[in-house]
Amino acid sequence: MRSRTVQGTVAIAATASLALAACGGAGGPQSGGSSKLTDDKVVIGLLNDQSGVYKDLSGPNSKVAIEMAIADYKAKYGDKAVAKDIEVVTADHQNKADIANSKAQEMYDRQKADIILDVPNSAAALAVATQAKNKKKLYINIGAGTTALTGASCNKYTFHWAYNTAVLARGTAGTITKEGGTSWNIVYPDYAFGQDMNKSFSAEVTKNGGTVGQSIASPFPSDNFATFITKAGEGSPKVIGSMHAGGDLINFVKQFNQSSLKGKVQLAVGLMFITDIHSLGVDQFAGTQFTDAWYWNFDAQNKKWADQFKEKTNTRPSFAHAANYSAAMNYLEAVQEAGTDDADTIVGKLEGKKINDVFLRNGEIRKADHAVIHDVYLAKVKSSAPEEWDYEDIEKTIPAAEAYGAANPACSMS
Amino acid sequence: MSEFIQYTLQGLAAGGFYALSALGLAVIFGVLGVVNFSHGACYMLGAVLSAVLLAELNVGFWAALIIVPVLMFGFGVLMERLLVRWLLELDPLYNFLLTFGLTLVIVEAVKQRYGVSGLPYQVPAGLGGQVSVGSVNLSVYAIFACLFSVVVCVAVGLLLTKTRIGMIVRAATEAPDRTRALGINVGLWVTPVFGFGIALAGLAGVLAAPTRAITAEMGSNFIIILFAVVVIGGLGSILGAVVAGFLVGLVEAYGIAYAPTYAQIVIFVLMALVVLVRPSGLFGREEVA
Amino acid sequence: MSDDTTATTTTEQPAPDRAGAPEPASPRRGAARMLEVSGLSAWYGEARVLTDVSIDVAPGEVVTLVGRNGAGKTTLLRSVMGLHRQIEGSITLDGSDLAKRSADARARAGIGWVPDDRGIYASLTVAENLLLPPVVHADAWSLERVYEFFPVLHERRDFPGTKLSGGEQQMLAMARVLRMGSRLLLLDEPSEGLAPVIVQRIGEIIREIKGQGVGVLLVEQNVAFASTVADRHYLLAQGKVVEHLGNDDFRAREGELLTYLGM
Repeated sequence: MRSRTVQGTVAIAATASLALAACGGAGGPQSGGSSKLTDDKVVIGLLNDQSGVYKDLSGPNSKVAIEMAIADYKAKYGDKAVAKDIEVVTADHQNKADIANSKAQEMYDRQKADIILDVPNSAAALAVATQAKNKKKLYINIGAGTTALTGASCNKYTFHWAYNTAVLARGTAGTITKEGGTSWNIVYPDYAFGQDMNKSFSAEVTKNGGTVGQSIASPFPSDNFATFITKAGEGSPKVIGSMHAGGDLINFVKQFNQSSLKGKVQLAVGLMFITDIHSLGVDQFAGTQFTDAWYWNFDAQNKKWADQFKEKTNTRPSFAHAANYSAAMNYLEAVQEAGTDDADTIVGKLEGKKINDVFLRNGEIRKADHAVIHDVYLAKVKSSAPEEWDYEDIEKTIPAAEAYGAANPACSMS
Repeated sequence: MSEFIQYTLQGLAAGGFYALSALGLAVIFGVLGVVNFSHGACYMLGAVLSAVLLAELNVGFWAALIIVPVLMFGFGVLMERLLVRWLLELDPLYNFLLTFGLTLVIVEAVKQRYGVSGLPYQVPAGLGGQVSVGSVNLSVYAIFACLFSVVVCVAVGLLLTKTRIGMIVRAATEAPDRTRALGINVGLWVTPVFGFGIALAGLAGVLAAPTRAITAEMGSNFIIILFAVVVIGGLGSILGAVVAGFLVGLVEAYGIAYAPTYAQIVIFVLMALVVLVRPSGLFGREEVA
Repeated sequence: MSDDTTATTTTEQPAPDRAGAPEPASPRRGAARMLEVSGLSAWYGEARVLTDVSIDVAPGEVVTLVGRNGAGKTTLLRSVMGLHRQIEGSITLDGSDLAKRSADARARAGIGWVPDDRGIYASLTVAENLLLPPVVHADAWSLERVYEFFPVLHERRDFPGTKLSGGEQQMLAMARVLRMGSRLLLLDEPSEGLAPVIVQRIGEIIREIKGQGVGVLLVEQNVAFASTVADRHYLLAQGKVVEHLGNDDFRAREGELLTYLGM
């Protein structure tokens, strides 16, 4: 009896959501006249991880960053602003591709989002790229690292704003090898991301004249790395590369610091964010080298924006916050320039655009693969923090062209 | 050879920690018949509490080794009084599901309060660095954690074998109904024993804090390994948990050394083999089906 | 769990004559009753295993429950002990109602249980098995007296409880409740599977404690043994008391009862 009631409820819920989806679908892609905004307002969708591992890296504070862009846009154009009514809608994709997929659909169709921003986690990022392509709506990815966004899965409506795994490999592996760190052992988590990182890091080390002694796969997730570290120390390499992320990375570094290799072998990290340093404490990461897409205390311009951000959030911005600001701002500028929020027109305005702003230095929205190339930085973790969040010494600026290389040949725009 | 010794020592160091971590799970299962899925979450709470005590009250590692288990004991008592005890009479599955749900609540609550990227914690002063003999190295903290775990395991073992409390707990573990019929209020012992098991989880968390990532999810993977440990050792067997803890530590270390990709699978292969040969685990009592 | 549940469906022969006569010229002595069970019915789920059972035991009296497997004897003991709770009817000890009391409270009130599997702990030594329960009465045997009476338990005091032989385990189980000082013993088939010489020894123990004023409710299928120790006998069939006999009557009809019990 009870199970029948449950079944009934589920059936009703399913029917209701089906009906809603149908309504949404009907109201969906009705592009208005080219000189006007669709439905009289611009809707920016922020789709990211609001509760999981990337919550601090991007999460809810990216909404603040986008609102800062909106405020700056309105202040800049005042009465002349094309977009007078700008709304930000947010959703939590929980790092799951299926949720990202349905949330993106909901944003584009029912919430009338003109653009979706952020979407960390590669699987989720690729799911949203497919939605953007099908719905013919804009999508600027910031948080994900996969090169597929500007490769096999690239499309007219998708842009990749901040970084990708190839950039990390060129920045970290390439630079360190060139500067004398020629013998490497790499430990990587045994899943798609880790395997990918291992491949691109190994390639960069070899390309720059170094050797990779061994690449060791570790189970994912894992919290006991002591023995992996011992193994990685065999053969006395100059550099040990950890391709782990999040909790695994922290486990690795903590246990590396307690090992006899600490101080004898350089630790290079494939993917690291300032939030990782913050959570572990700067002294635990001291001396670790990694590639950062942006650092808040790099120069006066960054610092000024970071101060504004801190007033609103009481914390310092990560690269993702600045990139969300930059993406939203450049999108609104394009709307202003085009006089419309029609997606195809905006794509035309963005492609090939050269940009210098708080996030992008020597930036260019590359037409061929929609990679937004810009200078990135080889950072070294300070041994002590002069103030909270002041954790990085920028050792080297890696020019955009060097960091991004040639356009991805796997991409064919359609 | 020195390589082999290195891996063996690392395996033993990890094993001691596994033994301590699994101990509370075994105690609770032994006395209450509850498969406490929230053990991993309580381990996480132990680590998070250490970090919070340090950050907000400047309470260091050594004090946390005392304070955190006491707090977690209180948490365990609340858990047992408010929730677990109402399901004790029912199929054990109910308490497994309850503690599973509780795990989600605890993990989400910690995420809400402390975020997800983790909390900082350092190796306590005096326990940093390594001990080296020839080409064999071990971190001082790993040695400390292992010895401390062994001491706690032995103390719990003595408590169980040499004291009247231990005698009652053993009797209640073996046959709760019969023990009641011999005039012992088993229910009276259930709450403190549950609290004690949770306190042990919290203690393992404190011990993990200097060497592992302190995140809300840190127990989610760990609990799986602990289940393997108690299944190998025999559910409810204290000695079994300790022996299996070391066994799993060693097997894992050799796995990493000689077949890194399969390091974790090896543990579960070991579990499968043990269960095939001895369904009730190495030290489990044969159950009459 | 005992086999009481499954056996309730077997049809039993009607008892020989006097069947159903509830209160014959009472074989009971005049002494004050210690245990009084009246109108007791018990269930396992839907299955009724005891129906309106009324029995009593006085101090210093040995009373047996005789019946086939599945007649409900063990369930009756478990109900008195408070381990089986799905019951109706009243159980009193020294005039006070036990309904609200847990098994451990009943044990502390003076009921000592010797289960049919002896209930020896494998994880406790012989000495620990003896020392586990609390002492509940001033007449409790001291450990010295226990060891004097059961020298083998002294010899093996540091052995795990279940390393003893069956007979020794039975001794240990009985010694355990004597050391508690229980005033009413519930003995579930103490002679089962034991050599005659040991059965004889158990008989001696029962007579010894009877002399101390301890009441004994004895479940027994060994009719010959029962008749050597008991004062009165209740015959149970299909969860009902069908006969209530004094020991003389019981002896006189031993052969007939054996046939009836199918033994």
